[in-house]
Amino acid sequence: MAEWNAYYQNEEEDLDGEEGEESGVDYKTTGRDSLVFLVDASKEMFIKEESGELTPFDMTMQCVRSVYTSKIISSDKDLVALVFYGTEQSKNPRNSFKHVYVYHDLDTPGAGRVQDVDGLRGEDGAKVAAKTMGSGKTNLGEALWCCSNLYSDIKLRLSHKRLMIFTCRDSPHEGDSERDRQARTKAGDLKETGVVIDLMHLMKPGGFDVSIFFCDVVSPPEDDAELGLQMEPCVKLEDLKKRVRAKEMKKRSIARLNLCLGEGMNVAVGVYITALQARKPNPIKLFKDNNEPVRTKTRLYHTQTGSLLLPSDTKRAQVYASKQIVMEKDEVDVIKKFSDPGLELIGFKPMERLKLHHHLRSPVFIYPEEEMVTGSACMFTALLKRCSERNVFALCKYTRIRNSPPRFLALVPQREELDEGQAQIAAPGFHGIFLPYADDIRTLDTPQLPTASDSQVDKMKEIVQKLRFKYRCDAFENPVLQKHFRNLEALALDLMAPEEIEDHTMPKIEMMDERLGSLAQEFKDLVYPADYNPEGKTANKRKPAGGAEKKPKVDISEDELRGHVQKNTLHKLTVPILKDACKQFGVKVTGTKKQELIDALTRYFQKTV
Amino acid sequence: MAPSAKSALVLCVDVGFSMSNSGPGQEPPFEQAKKVIQKFVKRQVFAENKDELGLVLFGSDATKNNLAKDGQYQNIYVHRNLMIPDFGLLEEIQNDIHPGGQQGDWLDALVVCMDLLQNETLGKKYDRLNIAVLTDLDSPVSPDQLDIITGNLKRAGITLQFFLPFPMDTDEAGGGDVGGSGPPHGGKGLSREQQQGLDLVKQVMMSLDEEDGLDEVQTFSDAIEKLSVFKHVEKRPMAWPCTLTIGSCLTIKIVGYKAVCEERPRKSWSVVDAQTHQKEDVKRDVVYCVDDDEETEVPKDDTIQGFRYGSDIVPFSKVDQEQMKYKTDGKSFAVLGFAKQSLVINRHHFMGNQILKVFAPKDDEHAGVALSALIRALDELKMVAVVRYVYARNGNPQVGAAFPCIKEKYECLMYVQLPFMEDLRQYTFPSLENNKKYTPSENQLSVVDSLIDSMMLVEENEDGEKKDLFKVNHIPNPQYQRLFQCLHHRALNPSAPLPPVEPWLITALQRPQAVAARSRAPLENMKKLFPLKEVVKKKELKTKQLFRKGKVYRTAVWKQGGLQNNCLETGMSTEQLFGNRDVYRTAVWKQGCLQNSCLETGREGLQNSCLETGRFTEQLFGNREVY
Repeated sequence: MAEWNAYYQNEEEDLDGEEGEESGVDYKTTGRDSLVFLVDASKEMFIKEESGELTPFDMTMQCVRSVYTSKIISSDKDLVALVFYGTEQSKNPRNSFKHVYVYHDLDTPGAGRVQDVDGLRGEDGAKVAAKTMGSGKTNLGEALWCCSNLYSDIKLRLSHKRLMIFTCRDSPHEGDSERDRQARTKAGDLKETGVVIDLMHLMKPGGFDVSIFFCDVVSPPEDDAELGLQMEPCVKLEDLKKRVRAKEMKKRSIARLNLCLGEGMNVAVGVYITALQARKPNPIKLFKDNNEPVRTKTRLYHTQTGSLLLPSDTKRAQVYASKQIVMEKDEVDVIKKFSDPGLELIGFKPMERLKLHHHLRSPVFIYPEEEMVTGSACMFTALLKRCSERNVFALCKYTRIRNSPPRFLALVPQREELDEGQAQIAAPGFHGIFLPYADDIRTLDTPQLPTASDSQVDKMKEIVQKLRFKYRCDAFENPVLQKHFRNLEALALDLMAPEEIEDHTMPKIEMMDERLGSLAQEFKDLVYPADYNPEGKTANKRKPAGGAEKKPKVDISEDELRGHVQKNTLHKLTVPILKDACKQFGVKVTGTKKQELIDALTRYFQKTV
Repeated sequence: MAPSAKSALVLCVDVGFSMSNSGPGQEPPFEQAKKVIQKFVKRQVFAENKDELGLVLFGSDATKNNLAKDGQYQNIYVHRNLMIPDFGLLEEIQNDIHPGGQQGDWLDALVVCMDLLQNETLGKKYDRLNIAVLTDLDSPVSPDQLDIITGNLKRAGITLQFFLPFPMDTDEAGGGDVGGSGPPHGGKGLSREQQQGLDLVKQVMMSLDEEDGLDEVQTFSDAIEKLSVFKHVEKRPMAWPCTLTIGSCLTIKIVGYKAVCEERPRKSWSVVDAQTHQKEDVKRDVVYCVDDDEETEVPKDDTIQGFRYGSDIVPFSKVDQEQMKYKTDGKSFAVLGFAKQSLVINRHHFMGNQILKVFAPKDDEHAGVALSALIRALDELKMVAVVRYVYARNGNPQVGAAFPCIKEKYECLMYVQLPFMEDLRQYTFPSLENNKKYTPSENQLSVVDSLIDSMMLVEENEDGEKKDLFKVNHIPNPQYQRLFQCLHHRALNPSAPLPPVEPWLITALQRPQAVAARSRAPLENMKKLFPLKEVVKKKELKTKQLFRKGKVYRTAVWKQGGLQNNCLETGMSTEQLFGNRDVYRTAVWKQGCLQNSCLETGREGLQNSCLETGRFTEQLFGNREVY
């Protein structure tokens, strides 16, 4: 009986409707992602280049740390390992490999691991590394073999396997062709089992030459048109982090659908989510004696007979005008269905028809799926190119899954953009903007107020110019999330106090005041009369809070109530009166909303008539 | 908040014998009128507002009204006094209202309705009183009291609406083809009574409202069309008063309103017992148990709260969490700085579920001027304010952009949430245009061009006016239209299956016909130039579909052994099903097979076996560990 829980939780999700939409992940790709950091620990890694701020090793460790912490926040089920090669000491599961030091086995990252990596940062970290591992002979082949064992020791299903090599040496075996050959073979073996090998090459005096050795080790790029390796080595930590980040996350489509242009013209596309509000994870319940998680079981049972209820023993109901309307669960689901899943082209509109306020939720991203329908990518590219050049968007009807009601999307073209380092800053594809229906747009009473004069506007312009800054979408961290995870970190690691967070959402008041100087006062003098207090509490027409607020308790007779029920006028009574009435007659109410109170009372009186 | 507005309305329906007359193949006016009031009442019932409704019939065989005496006000029947409409009324309209055999004076009926409205609303507050008259005007009336009647209507603030079977500009010659609602009596044009009645109607309406009075005279068919759309009850927008701050000394009082937000139905489904239909008979029970072999239950009080920190589970009590969490001291709309619109306006970075419009308070001119200066400055500089937004004390802070928005009638700031770093996923996708394999030829591009031309939804007419053929923001959310259609149907026909989607709704969601016709030729050309071939190896998709097929995936529960047997029966080896991941992926079986095997064991069996093993398909398929 243990599993009723899972059962009903599903149903609840269903009732919520579209909530699950965002977490929906392509079935094929579910499974855990895994990532192995294979880091060069040779002496060269600890030498700071003149232009660099950090040693390559230090940079790598910072990068590993940021991946660890971001994994903890965003995908704590993913597995990560940290392995050093070119070490003096050896440490690996069977100790069969020399000069390979498995610092962290392939596992989910936790607080301890973050702390370990912290220990390897900076000058002190370098000392620790020298002491525990040391730098010795390099045998990349052995290291890769060791990593392949790490993967094969994992009993879980892995969906995506990636290995990143961090090094500043383009010729790790210094021309030893035997070791080179061995490394190539092992790399080939790894790739055969589905591991993607990336090179994160760091600066090296005289330049890093990928073609000497590494070009044969790393995986070929995703698409064969791309040049493959990013030829420029990373010099800055920021670049390295960005590069790792871009590779480290596996793209997952939430749906693979047909984009139907017309009868029999189906282009296969994948639907992706590129921005989604990250939320604090839900708490889990623990047994207080041992801090082990407890399982929550929810079940439905019959109040009268006490017997367990199966889903087929229940139906769904809503009450309107005191009449209960009952449907089967299946019917409730199926009335949401309008058409089969897919995107249906309605037509095109000039871009200016997409208004700023056409926004309901974060958009989706659409990219062709050549493997499903060949020819898709070509047609998609043609469409993308012409839509973008002609500055139009495509209007589509979007049905995500079988029983999801349709929404309309504005497909806005985005062409590929690369930065100087040939890294992609904008991916080619369409952004699907959700368009509001008539019901979603609210009519507002707009106040009629005087407008500003030119001199007032000009003064404000000066203020605006003084406080200009360059907005970057990744500049703001979510302080709520950061604080939450710092707290957890502190508790997990027994720190005295959680690490302080820098809250970028707070205005930098002092700096702003300083930049504005006298401008603020000048503007105020222009728009506000002397006796006006713009900070005063909006003392709107709300009556002064007096003792008279408290209304005398009103009792209502049963007859009166019955009359209201019969005439369907219960809503004329106030919530407190309804609540009192419920109490008076012992009517159980499930909520505090007025309608719920009314429903409960109505049911009570109808029964007792 | 202000008390919500309510109105009182009396439907005044002609059921006289002329209403049953119609030309061959035409729907009698009585049936049309009945449809109008049914649709209207249905809408009112589901809107669940406090509007009250009365129903007065005239031309009826029976007489029942307060004014009837001495042979006056005969054949006028007050069917229902002012009340909130309910399903009872709907049923009565469907079953109890029949055409009468008399003639009724519609002016007399109007007087009865006025009397009803005035008596029943006495001492209560309504912000609108309205009478809707549905008649074919084909009965003699005594117009001698017309002035007194209109005078009284005006004094009482009662508005009037007329619904007629024919358009108002029908002349005697017979405008039988106007609007499809032909005149009664077999297309012979209006009768003398009708002509006279129409003049009277015009007179009354013009005297009530000289300018727009005639707009309130509509045909039955127009009304049916308009009433087909369920209107969501307008929510009174909630004001969010706050102050906009720039630095420490510049503040402007503002009020924010939600302007765009996904509207959800107000009611949700509750779970009821299948037999008794009682919500109270079903109880949800939550227990906690330790993850041991016996699944020992533990009381709720013996549990504490914890969070995952990667592989660690950190006990973190609610109290501690509350104390240590990020706190905000109150609502805020604080400018962090100003940025170029072009940098922020990345549409695909808009987050959150709403658009907020920010105004100055209604009665605060000075705030109005100050805000206007900001809006105009931003507009002229093509910039936005990047702000920190906090809805209320201890609400989660957001970073968002406030765009200037200048309309003919008003100015405001439009606020939308922007992403935090944690929200973004920087995916890279393989290049398309730089990939030779996918580069379209000139020919291909030009046919795409012709497709775009043929499918433009915004057209310019001769006067240079732009017309949008497909305005999404004018379409009612189909989900709710369908929901209410089904609820209504089920309410009146509890045992009948649900009806199909209404045709008008299907049409509203489709490519406009004109566009579909125009695009036919370019689409044919595209077909020729762009060969599309479905890849045959779509087996995994089938599997996926199969597992998503709600029923089987979610509810079917059976012993693993049982499944193996079933699979063997259907000629499948378990190996193929579960053996290993890769084989599993390629394993193909017909959807029927699995379903059949489920049917074989029967639902009961499935449920039993589930109880036995407590093993879940969900787990089998959803959870990787099983593999």
